[in-house]
Amino acid sequence: MASIQLSGLTKFYGKRRGVEEVSLEVGDQEFLTVFGPAGAGKTTTLNLIAGIVTPDRGSIRIGDKIVDALEPADRNVAMVFESYALYPQFTVYQNMAFPLRSPKHRLPAAEVDQRVRHFATMLKIDHLLDRQIQALSNGQRQRTALGRALVRRPDVFLMDEPLSHLDAKLRHSMRAELKEMRGQLGTTTIYVTHDYLEAMSLGDRVAVINQGRILQVGTPGEVYFRPATVEVAQLFGDPEINLIEAKIRNRQSTSVRVEALGEDWSFSITPEIGSALDKLPGDNVQLGFRPADVTVGVNGNSSLHGVVYSFEPLGTKSVLTIDSVAGQRVRALVDGHKTFQVDRRIEFTVPSVSLIFFDPESTRYLVRSTRTEGDD
Amino acid sequence: MIQSRSPLAKIGKGLQILLLLAYAVFALFPLLWMFIMSIKPDSQMLTTTFIFTPTLENYATVLHSDYMQFFFNNLIVSVAAVLVSLVVGVPAAYALARFQFKGKEDIAFTILSFRFAPEILVILPLYLIYQRLGLYDTYFGLIWVYQLITLPLLIWILRGFFEDISPDIEAAAQLDGYTWWQVFLRVLLPLVKPGLVAAGLLCFIFAWNSFTFPLLLSNNVQTSTVIALRYLASDTVHYGQVAAAAAISALPEVILALLIQKHLVRGLSFGAVKG
Amino acid sequence: MAELILKALTKVYAQAQLPAVDQLNLAVRDGEFIALLGPSGCGKSTTLRMVAGLESVTSGEIRIGNKLVNGLHPKDRGVGLAFENYALYPPLKVRDNLAFNLRAHGLAAKEINRRVDEIARTLQIQELLDLKPVGLSSGQKQRVNMARAMVRRPSVLLLDEPLSHLDARLRVELRTEIKRLHAEQRFTTVIVTHDQLEAMALADRIAVMNEGVLQQFDTPLEVFNHPANEFVAGFLGEPPMNIFRSVVADAGRLVIPDTDFTLPVTPAVQKLVGSRKELKLGIRPWGIRVSQTQTTGSVPGVVTVVEDLGDETRVGVRYGEVLIMSSIPVTRRYRPGLSVFLSFNEEDLNLFDSTTGERLSDGSYAPAPVTNDTAQKSKVQAPVTR
Repeated sequence: MASIQLSGLTKFYGKRRGVEEVSLEVGDQEFLTVFGPAGAGKTTTLNLIAGIVTPDRGSIRIGDKIVDALEPADRNVAMVFESYALYPQFTVYQNMAFPLRSPKHRLPAAEVDQRVRHFATMLKIDHLLDRQIQALSNGQRQRTALGRALVRRPDVFLMDEPLSHLDAKLRHSMRAELKEMRGQLGTTTIYVTHDYLEAMSLGDRVAVINQGRILQVGTPGEVYFRPATVEVAQLFGDPEINLIEAKIRNRQSTSVRVEALGEDWSFSITPEIGSALDKLPGDNVQLGFRPADVTVGVNGNSSLHGVVYSFEPLGTKSVLTIDSVAGQRVRALVDGHKTFQVDRRIEFTVPSVSLIFFDPESTRYLVRSTRTEGDD
Repeated sequence: MIQSRSPLAKIGKGLQILLLLAYAVFALFPLLWMFIMSIKPDSQMLTTTFIFTPTLENYATVLHSDYMQFFFNNLIVSVAAVLVSLVVGVPAAYALARFQFKGKEDIAFTILSFRFAPEILVILPLYLIYQRLGLYDTYFGLIWVYQLITLPLLIWILRGFFEDISPDIEAAAQLDGYTWWQVFLRVLLPLVKPGLVAAGLLCFIFAWNSFTFPLLLSNNVQTSTVIALRYLASDTVHYGQVAAAAAISALPEVILALLIQKHLVRGLSFGAVKG
Repeated sequence: MAELILKALTKVYAQAQLPAVDQLNLAVRDGEFIALLGPSGCGKSTTLRMVAGLESVTSGEIRIGNKLVNGLHPKDRGVGLAFENYALYPPLKVRDNLAFNLRAHGLAAKEINRRVDEIARTLQIQELLDLKPVGLSSGQKQRVNMARAMVRRPSVLLLDEPLSHLDARLRVELRTEIKRLHAEQRFTTVIVTHDQLEAMALADRIAVMNEGVLQQFDTPLEVFNHPANEFVAGFLGEPPMNIFRSVVADAGRLVIPDTDFTLPVTPAVQKLVGSRKELKLGIRPWGIRVSQTQTTGSVPGVVTVVEDLGDETRVGVRYGEVLIMSSIPVTRRYRPGLSVFLSFNEEDLNLFDSTTGERLSDGSYAPAPVTNDTAQKSKVQAPVTR
């Protein structure tokens, strides 16, 4: 059990930036997901904590110990690798027992056996203990890798995309199981993933990272509903968030009229949005809204108009791509029971509580109505 | 359609067996020929092919001469050469596979290039150097010069094996609480074992069969390959004795190959360490 | 443009125990967009390659526009194939890549230019025409790849996993483009994909394959809402369908072992169940209602998993070995450890035979041999009840 503190971690591979100035605090027993696209520096961060890679600058503290000078074996962290990194010459049992037979963590044979069997049962691989690694499916390998990390009872768990090589169905069920297991383990965990659903589902907090830099650290709700930058907003959600430029034409205390998507659009605002808009140097503001928040209407009350560019049913939901008056395309996620003909004229709007305001210059988050997050 | 294919498949299978058989005869015939020659008396050597009075006289002659001493010379030099290569080559192969450093590919290529020049081309300078340094006609000198033959082979085969092992496995074992040396001995070495065995055997064969180096760089410390020359006497060629000596000389290789056949197949087909 | 008909198409590889494609019957209408969907190794790519003429046919027929093309050289079949790995000619500029096939067919230079410009406009790659493939991004390469397949105006357009190497953003973007393009151009199109969302979004009808055998061929919504068997049910949908073993208890009740779930067997369900004692019961996560108040027929349980995913919340309730996942509108009310009540509607149930995995049907449905006119089939697969 331990907290982790990274301060100013920097690592370059030659000219290529692995991570730069990564500072992060993970509380005791916290589950932190590190989320970002491929090549963002996620794995580098884990490798730095594990001691597999040495940083150019910066420092790592685990518990109350600075571990910068310690060998991987002395940091008491356990890691689950994306490639699983199982020992191919051993059986499942031998793989799981391997850490407990090491000089560092050696236990009496009886206890090794007891622990291996305990975690194998928990991971539902107790019937596979005598199997060779080659004879295992991907899902079973993944469980074995997890088991090898669990038996140690380390201070810290590091998990590098452990679910990414599983098929969709297995990934969903493993995600749920991992989530259930968390309660029983209570170990500080850093979990790396490129899947935003995994990041949001598993993490107490999410650290969003791209191009070696941390963009935002926050609860899943914070990063999803109040993204620190446009870039963060774009990384969460499928389809991606809609981003439009708006020019403020007229602002009253409780409403605002903007020109956006080639149309006049008025909507109500809260005082906090008002004061945030007042701080803007110009009239321009960037608006973000998720496809699921677009309401497609037919009653003539909606403010925005367009033509159906494309309609893609996905089962319970469908993606509707709308050509707005200005030509810019807007995506809407609509109920799966409705169908829309291509080229049909429609109207749509976005509830003002769903709008995220960004500074068009810095692309930083400005404000969003507090009345959100689904309670409506 | 499956039924209609099956006679065709049978013919294909038959053809396959026939071809393999033909190749086996082609490959084994010289060995058979050598064996036949070794049990033929000199008088019948050139007169008959398969009809002769078998005799062990050739073997007796060879074994009663000092041939066996040279046989053991060869054994000492070859085994030692392989051992030295293993000690030097395994870490070198690991380093070339794992670490990124300046001139890495150049070094690897240089090592490989030791095998490019024909031995006869470099033997003259080597001879002079060996004379000067007092390495001429010593075990040590031969073992050293054999590294030119064995080291490149070993390094290049093992490098491929080390490259096949994911660095993650090493990192995992270190995190599991082992020091680097323990990781190397307990995790990596078992994984490259097939390659180690195959490369070791090939090195041994090449060292054992080496001819130019021992011929010109030694005098008393001769090896069995060189000493076979003596049967080419000025007046006559003792084919029977040559064959008997060759048969004895081939024995260690054959025995070794049979003992480690299992590893050899795995080792030479590579990629045996996929997790 | 033409229709594409596969009749008992079979491919058996030498050495293989099982056929890679087994007696596949498919009829693609003129101008229709169909998807071959399945996990890797299900035979979908082999099928596509047989249609393209890159793979020999063991038995069966391929007809394009009512012409048997089994023996024809790939170039004479009138098909355009966009390869998964792009397979652009690296030394040639994009323009020459596009013109390559037209030149091979001996078209006049003027006509070639006209067609290349036209297709470049359609796929929005005009500004790339004078570049070489090596400098293009993967999204651009895929557009060029598709343009090359379309520029020859094929009777049938074949797309082999066109989106699988693109990042998420580009994938969604190009998916929309392909959909739009098809709405405009109405090429008869076959796409091969392992991504169910891609298949659902793009195709008029989806052919789900597994281990070389066609599982179901129907419209996306039909395949999604009325899967023909357990495999299809499990393969489509994210999160996946909950599938439980259930037994028919004495008093006309259906029980899910390890849980307290019991369902009264209505006459409609009874008709489907017949004399079975055991069956598989499938229900999509969206079909399960989670509530904190008890209603008739609802079953108590304890929440063990809560996933807040922004646009939706997923709640898992565990009963011994069984974890029931439900997907509900965004709410922050649920926390692990909370006592809740689960319920679902009978019409959301999918019933499957416990041994064959086939969807239970009420006898009015017989698995008709797939003929040239498969249209009838989409109507036959009756929902469980009603």
